Amino acid sequence: MLVPEFVPGIFSSMYLPAIYAGLIVGFIGLMAIAMEKRDIHILILTDIVGLAMLIIVGAVGTDLAEALILPGLVVELAEIMAISEILISREMHKIESNKKKMPKNASIFPLPLVLDMEIMTTSSNFLALVLIGYGVFLTGFTGGAVAGGGVLLYVISRKSRGLPIFVFDGISGVSGISWCLWIIGFALFFIAPNLWLLSLTLAACGLLMKVASKLGLIGILMREEFKRE
Amino acid sequence: MDISSLGGDFLGIIPLGDIVLYLTPFHLFMCVVMLLFTFLICISKTETQVEASFGKLEDTKVSVGLNEFKQRRFLSIICGIATAGAMITGDLFNFTLFMALIGIVNIGIVSAVKQTSVLNAAYQYGLIAMMCSLPLFGGAAIILASTGTLSLFELSNLATTSAMTVFGALLLLIGILGESGVAPFFATKAEMFRTPGSPFLVIIHLSSLFVVIRAIEILLIIIKVI
Repeated sequence: MLVPEFVPGIFSSMYLPAIYAGLIVGFIGLMAIAMEKRDIHILILTDIVGLAMLIIVGAVGTDLAEALILPGLVVELAEIMAISEILISREMHKIESNKKKMPKNASIFPLPLVLDMEIMTTSSNFLALVLIGYGVFLTGFTGGAVAGGGVLLYVISRKSRGLPIFVFDGISGVSGISWCLWIIGFALFFIAPNLWLLSLTLAACGLLMKVASKLGLIGILMREEFKRE
Repeated sequence: MDISSLGGDFLGIIPLGDIVLYLTPFHLFMCVVMLLFTFLICISKTETQVEASFGKLEDTKVSVGLNEFKQRRFLSIICGIATAGAMITGDLFNFTLFMALIGIVNIGIVSAVKQTSVLNAAYQYGLIAMMCSLPLFGGAAIILASTGTLSLFELSNLATTSAMTVFGALLLLIGILGESGVAPFFATKAEMFRTPGSPFLVIIHLSSLFVVIRAIEILLIIIKVI
């Protein structure tokens, strides 16, 4: 067999069940898509098929398979965002084209989004600060996600209290610069392995800023979506 | 079948660590044609559709605004480069990724139009492309698991083909058909063509034609039964 000897038998015996599980999950997802009628539900169910893809690729479990998982995940995310954008703009065109028939205060944002949670008005600033601080302490991908969640919470809570929101114009620029930091750190690993601590710090901080600004960007996009209304 | 009987004289390999690129006249020709077409797209302007009105003598012109034009041209160039990469690559891994990129970019090219019917078609095509990423990546993973490599040069040197490899190759075929939107899934793609904006839209069609030819070659390399 192709599996090396030092891999325990229980791991290599998991391969076939995982493949079957992935195919069955994908099949169930496809059946649900065939039965469902509403567009937004179909879009969400399509993600289940994407998750089944991750199961099948993950079942292989080598480094090359991991290299397949990452672009697979990114492709899934990019496609689901692109398709939901298409869905939103299609609904907006539909609303605009038969505006006369509709009542005047109809929402132009087609998805229901109610934000009257108590947490938005009581201690949101403190929670956002704790999240950002903890994210900076963590660094790396997880830290970026936590800090970005803090930024997002701050933006949404200000929005729900009706306060004006700061406009971060250069946020995509920050994202690009931190991407460069990550790439430089990554290249240093190969060029000068004795500088591993520097390159690790560069990559971790770059990734932190990158992910945090990405999640912050979602908040900004949501603000623009509200503004259109 | 072996590489030289499919692609002509074997010109040599470019070893880049694990990724071994190999060159044959077939790949070079396809890649150069695709790059030439991409260059044509770089320098061309968009068309203006003229629609005849019913019951009147006037025509309505449907043109594309500057912003939409720029975005569409950029995505078309990306699509052309991705297709050229899929033509020249000697690695199933790269081919899978280029294929996924072509799928996303095809959605993006038509996503900015104003017609509701075209957006509807793009939505359906996007759903098919997302569902077909399961067989696309899954097929590549199964081939990797059953042969231990994704390099086509190594795959062509293998003596036999196991049943699991054939299954993976068939899954890969389904994935490629769905991502490029050819035959059983072509209905939505035909609807996407009703929007103004040739010649940029032609790249959607051309890329799927080229990719299908290359996919057949790859499948013949992997499956040794024939």
